[in-house]
Amino acid sequence: MKARKVKHLDPDGTLADNAQRVVAVRIDELYDFVPAVLDPKRVKKLHAMRIAAKRLRYVLEVTSSACFGPYALTATKRVRELQDLLGEIHDCDIQLPRVQQIRAELSEEAAAELALRAGGAADLDPALASALPHSEDWAGLAALEHYLAVRRGLLYDRFITVWQDIERSAMRARLEYAIAERPTMVASDTETATI
Amino acid sequence: MAKARPIPGLTGQMRYSDAATATIAVRSDELFDHAAGVLDVTQIEAVHAMRVATRRLRSVLEFYEPCLDHEQLEPILAQICELADVLGQRRDPDVELEALAGFAAAASEAERPGIERFIDRTSEQQQQANAELAQMIEQIKADDLRGRLAALIAPAPTAAAVDGPTVTSPAVAEETDASPVKSGWLRRR
Repeated sequence: MKARKVKHLDPDGTLADNAQRVVAVRIDELYDFVPAVLDPKRVKKLHAMRIAAKRLRYVLEVTSSACFGPYALTATKRVRELQDLLGEIHDCDIQLPRVQQIRAELSEEAAAELALRAGGAADLDPALASALPHSEDWAGLAALEHYLAVRRGLLYDRFITVWQDIERSAMRARLEYAIAERPTMVASDTETATI
Repeated sequence: MAKARPIPGLTGQMRYSDAATATIAVRSDELFDHAAGVLDVTQIEAVHAMRVATRRLRSVLEFYEPCLDHEQLEPILAQICELADVLGQRRDPDVELEALAGFAAAASEAERPGIERFIDRTSEQQQQANAELAQMIEQIKADDLRGRLAALIAPAPTAAAVDGPTVTSPAVAEETDASPVKSGWLRRR
């Protein structure tokens, strides 16, 4: 997903004014994935939301303390939490098909071996299906597949809870307010910006 | 994971383009400082730290894009994106192997062979990704990514240096005579 272009940025303007414009667009990007991501099957949307969260987080990481009101720092942490959770869901979404693919490959090899054992017979002797290649692998791969599928479900439930908390706490409105605020500060050489 | 380093002197009231110089310098150093030990597959946090540093650098380059020279920025961003991809390809099996080790330890004897088969497959992927990462790191050195990042935020030559052929600042001398990279001052006025 490409980041949206931000209009009216001015290299000669202040960091805070430009950062406000960028963050406002990045907030829109993040929230545009709702309601799509409220469907657990929208794997690509969930992944894209994670990237949007990452973009917002890293801009806030640089600018929140130096440029905005205090809530920006709180929002940075919430966005990071969201990004981490979406990352774990994505890991399951990547791993699960890989486990399924290995199972499919091994199953095909076992079936091919069984067909070979059958030779040109008109029917298949059940005894031939015994001790096929990879039979020792099924239990572990099945356990792994179930584990990943169930864990993904639990992580997704957590994501919904976190998102509901974000909505309840009015993060968007508060962050939009915070990026319009400017910290009262006197710049000095020793001053630093941290998250 | 390493916390983002603070940007010394950064304030909301400073010029956007001055903030670009200060921020990119710190994020660039972060990236190269995290490159040590990255090819050691037993030290998986090194890859993670470098990957996060790459993301942070990419993010600030995109954030400050209006302040930077496009011709210089584009190939730098492309290379950083490529590096991020290669680091991601290494990181994915790193994380997976760590989780699989825990899963295998909790599994029954009957389940272990299947899990070990998956671990073997993932280890092969890790080795392949590590070889690609090694190549990428060599490429970055050969292309002098660090030098190009420094040039991207190099200070503008003085008016006298630009106008007068006999009075040449070191920055201009470097640009015109020795280095294949030029300074990125053009859009920063």
